[in-house]
Amino acid sequence: MIRARTFTDARQQAHSNAELHWWIFMRISGLILMFLILGHVYMTFIQVSESDATFDAVVNKLANPAWKFYNWLILSLSLLHGANGARYSIEDYVRSRPNRAWVKGVFYTVIALLFAFGTVGLFSI
Amino acid sequence: MYRGREGQWAFLLHRLSGLAILFYLMLHVFSIGSFIFGERFYMTIHETYDLVPFRIGLLFVTAGVVYHAFNGLRIIVMDFTGFGVAYQRQMWYGVMLLSVLAFIGSAIVVVPRILGGY
Repeated sequence: MIRARTFTDARQQAHSNAELHWWIFMRISGLILMFLILGHVYMTFIQVSESDATFDAVVNKLANPAWKFYNWLILSLSLLHGANGARYSIEDYVRSRPNRAWVKGVFYTVIALLFAFGTVGLFSI
Repeated sequence: MYRGREGQWAFLLHRLSGLAILFYLMLHVFSIGSFIFGERFYMTIHETYDLVPFRIGLLFVTAGVVYHAFNGLRIIVMDFTGFGVAYQRQMWYGVMLLSVLAFIGSAIVVVPRILGGY
């Protein structure tokens, strides 16, 4: 909720609300990703060899809607979690405002393209 | 970056492992997603990733993921419980122990495969 008399106040509050929501998101998505990704690493790297991830194996596994959903959940949660984490680093270490703007712009574009690419790939089988 | 014994290293490692995992994730989404360009394109990338340096890199990614996951859990415990901050140092040593064990454990499973060419 925003209680402000001027646009500047409102923007400051909205900013901090969004920050707060991202802060909560990092904790919740992190907790979910812990199970999803440790399971994924175990199943696809420890249990089987890297050489087993052939074209046919990937296509066969993704034929199952449950694995599609599992992988899409990892894709979306981890890209959001990772993008927000990298945003913290960019805001801490890229000190000049114009540089920060274009670094973020390029970075978000790459993340969005990857998300679109991964989603199309998952649901095109 | 702030100065303060274990907390400082926990913070730095969390950032570095997070950025490294994100970089790996971006490569991973591209290389696995590239199966939509057909078998030849996918297998060309994949045969490169089969090479020894990349597979050793996967061991470090695994350890990084375990560190990031359990240190994240430590951060959540610090944020949401009364006792979390008081035991953050001890919990960090637990996190480091788990990460080292995960690295050694996966190395024991994976290194023979790499040496055997599989």
